[in-house]
Amino acid sequence: MKKKIALLMACAMTVASLAGCGGGSGSGTTNTTAAAGSETTAAANGETKAAAGGETSLVMYWWGNQVRNERTQAALDKYCELNPGISIDGQFAEWNDYWNKLATMAAGQAIPDVLQMDYMYVDQYAKSNLLVDLKPYIDNGTLDVSDISENTIASGTVDGGVYAIAAGINSPALLYNKTLLDANGITIKDNMTMDEFYALCKEIFEKTGVKTDIAYGIANSWSEYFMRSYDIVPFGDKCMNGTEADWIHFFEMYTKGLEEGWMLEPAVFAEITLGSVEQTPMVYNSTPATQSWCEFYNSNQLAAMQNAAPEGMEIGITTWPAPDPKKSGYLKSSQFFSVGVHTKNEEEAVKVLDFMINSSDANNILLGERGVPAPTDIAEEVAPQLSEIDQKVTAFINDVVTPNSSPINPPQPDGASEVYDLMNRTIEKVCYGQLDAAAAAAEFLAEANKIMAAK
Amino acid sequence: MGMSTKRTIGKIVYHVLVCGLGLVMIYPLVWMIMSSFKPTQTIFTTANQLIPSKFVLENYANGWKGFAKISFGIFFKNSLFISIIATMGTLISSALVAFGFSRCKFFGKRILFVAMLLSMMLPAQVLMIPQYLWYQKLGWVGSYKPLILPYFFAIQGFFVYQITNFIDGIPRELDEAAKIDGCSYYSIFFRIILPLTTPALITSTIFSFMWRWDDFLSALLYINESAKYPVSLALKLFCDPGSSSDYGAMFAMATISIMPAVIMFICLQKYLVEGISTSGLKG
Amino acid sequence: MKGKKNLTFKQFLCKESVAGVVFCSPFIIGFLMFMIVPMGISLYYSFCDYNILTPAVFSGAKNYIKMFTDDEVFWQTIGVTFYFALVSVPLRLIFALIVAMILLKTTKATGFYRAAYYLPSIIGGSVAVAVLWKRMWATDGVINTLLNAIGIETSFAWLGNTSTAIWVLIVLAVWQFGSSMLIFLSALKQIPASLYEAATVDGANKWQQFWKVTLPLLTPNIFFNLVMQMINGFLAFTQCFIITQGKPLNSTLFYTVYMYQQSFEFYNTGYGAALAWIMLAIIGLITLVLFATKKFWVYEGGF
Repeated sequence: MKKKIALLMACAMTVASLAGCGGGSGSGTTNTTAAAGSETTAAANGETKAAAGGETSLVMYWWGNQVRNERTQAALDKYCELNPGISIDGQFAEWNDYWNKLATMAAGQAIPDVLQMDYMYVDQYAKSNLLVDLKPYIDNGTLDVSDISENTIASGTVDGGVYAIAAGINSPALLYNKTLLDANGITIKDNMTMDEFYALCKEIFEKTGVKTDIAYGIANSWSEYFMRSYDIVPFGDKCMNGTEADWIHFFEMYTKGLEEGWMLEPAVFAEITLGSVEQTPMVYNSTPATQSWCEFYNSNQLAAMQNAAPEGMEIGITTWPAPDPKKSGYLKSSQFFSVGVHTKNEEEAVKVLDFMINSSDANNILLGERGVPAPTDIAEEVAPQLSEIDQKVTAFINDVVTPNSSPINPPQPDGASEVYDLMNRTIEKVCYGQLDAAAAAAEFLAEANKIMAAK
Repeated sequence: MGMSTKRTIGKIVYHVLVCGLGLVMIYPLVWMIMSSFKPTQTIFTTANQLIPSKFVLENYANGWKGFAKISFGIFFKNSLFISIIATMGTLISSALVAFGFSRCKFFGKRILFVAMLLSMMLPAQVLMIPQYLWYQKLGWVGSYKPLILPYFFAIQGFFVYQITNFIDGIPRELDEAAKIDGCSYYSIFFRIILPLTTPALITSTIFSFMWRWDDFLSALLYINESAKYPVSLALKLFCDPGSSSDYGAMFAMATISIMPAVIMFICLQKYLVEGISTSGLKG
Repeated sequence: MKGKKNLTFKQFLCKESVAGVVFCSPFIIGFLMFMIVPMGISLYYSFCDYNILTPAVFSGAKNYIKMFTDDEVFWQTIGVTFYFALVSVPLRLIFALIVAMILLKTTKATGFYRAAYYLPSIIGGSVAVAVLWKRMWATDGVINTLLNAIGIETSFAWLGNTSTAIWVLIVLAVWQFGSSMLIFLSALKQIPASLYEAATVDGANKWQQFWKVTLPLLTPNIFFNLVMQMINGFLAFTQCFIITQGKPLNSTLFYTVYMYQQSFEFYNTGYGAALAWIMLAIIGLITLVLFATKKFWVYEGGF
């Protein structure tokens, strides 16, 4: 009898071990020699196709959609073709998954060689020593930033080190239903002040019944943009900047909208997925009471928004309104490329990064999918190949935003995402009538200071 | 006459009710399938309209194309491989352990049972990082091992408990008789209990296959190469909140991706009907 | 050791206590190899300041103290989760049992019906369900349209109202009753026909048969489903995560989703781990209570 058992177990084990090694290459080659967790990095990081002939293999990790996956992989293939002896494994995930996995890899000290980075996270990752300081490579010429503006470089700078290079430039942009406005004889001017914006919301509401969505539930960069007009950078060192009196302006916007009736009711947002371009009230809803005439998004999302719009709706682009548009405006990186600190081939990884940023070869494939290329010469070279919409975006950035922009705030510190969550919940309370602007500002500041102090 | 009319009416009422409720049940699925035939930009604007005004197949072509030259067929192959092997492991190991729990008295059984229940009570998300660190130490990250091997060790308490529960319901007289005939526990398990456990094994197969198929968290953490992704992970790649998402392609591939589970269910459910009847054993 | 006295190895293996361990060895090995270490690490994290990106620093019971003394949202999510679990689980089981009874009857269409009723569980937490479910309960969605059709004029915002939004999730949970149904179905099939025959001879009608024969014999499965679904109910994640994200005003914020936010969005991972262990204690306690009541209502005799 025991033979039978043994046989069964043996079968099970064989199947299992086959399973482990099947379905592709190399997974079985990892030895369990690693003693300390910190030494297992290479094992986890996909020693994938490297086996033959001392070839250098790198991993690049990014988030994005089908188009981005396609183009980025093609650009990487191009690099491998131009640089024999190097192989790059492109890996990709959906946005949320990406950050979960990256954090887990960080815990396991196995950050990929080249990775996509976001403004929200760059400070945290850099301060946790997970990204390579690129400054030495800029100084020795491996990484060429001569055609990238200082402001853009600054946006990836943390404590004097350059940890991330812009993969594309964009700016905050108010995307609006141009068809609706045209039909009612309303024209929009760029760089609106808040008062002009309020008047416009009111006018549109009165003429058409269509309401307004002021970055409901996604007020993160909007709050920052707004507060810049009051010379306030929201996040200080383990505290929040600005007094209650300053923050009241921000929450007053919502109470005003509610009082005058032109703001969308909060219940509308419970029926959509916040942050998804396809489900914004402007393009998703069909009755005036649930529709918005504008959305607070970014310039590089114009194409996506137009794509999501119902037939016959033309989407226009202008700047976000602000109490003082001149002070608020900025250019930012839609996303960055960084080099992970656990790489074994720092130099090679930096070269790949340089290729993605600076080479015509790569950018003629990528075609500004991540935003307007950061180096001016590359941006000019790519411009004619862009779609009509992307050309419009480029013109918007160059002609409208750039003249009115000042350097972006430093990247947000640890604790920012929790504070933003708090802010969105506070706005929710205001919109549900549980708080007035003054109470909201007081509650928000007190809670936010508590969060920041604990970091 | 009256009797048979009554019966016919009863039958009709039964079918109408069951069908009606059944339609409510499958409405979302029908909606998804119908949406997969709509031009992708119109999916949301026509969400309240079930039948597409224009049937298109391009979503299927776009979806099947996959990502960066990796076709969706590869993801399917990966998913099938992982799900089938892991399900086999779950069945074999859970049945063995369940028999031990149900039929043998031994030292530490209670503690084991409690451990099994406790292991189900921690949310999967909290174990993500510790598990990753542990598998990394074992050198398993980047391979299918973490997605498959643990299932050969009955780590899903649900199945162990379910089968234990089922074996508990099988009359002990059968074992006793076999024991008198000189059968050991091992032959009792293989010759008598295992065949009688078929219905429980079939439900376990259905659940296990489906859960392995849907599991994306461990695939996300442990699979690095894109060409090794399973369907569950690949489906999410159609969505990018920051830019355009291709919902059409996603619904098309999601429709295809539930097919294995549906087919499997339809094939296996008849064994639930014909499940080995114990009616002759006692009564 | 093996051949102690006149016991051969084979005889040794055949002893009940040894056979039990042998049969359970996969789980023993699996638990020691795959569960105990990660669980231990996460317990350790719960006593640490840990943000994933930098190494954990021991901080004593700080996380636990904060939870109970200085976290309003914690109590809110406890309330929501209890409400959700205690309402959705019984509803789901009752529904599953009723449908299983209905589908027990074998007709030509049974296979198709069973598939139809099981389908909601197969599509589970997919994006399609997330999109559609919100669409259905929208002010201009199918539900309100149906209500209007039967004469109830309404444009009620089910998802936008703090007292009804949770019900949208409860209905979703009840709708996905397939796994409990299958277990009931396979258990119903095991009830010997002879028992029903005997009951019929005694003059019991269908209704009496259900209460006197079916239900008592099903109690082990009801108990099993109850325990499993309670655990699932308290650990529910997907419904909230894909549909409401806790909105409006945290009225649908599940405990596990809050834990996930703390761990992976706010990077308070140590705090998230502490939340998880408190949940384990809660579920453990509830399960213990359920097991304590077992002897009062669960039929243990086999058929």
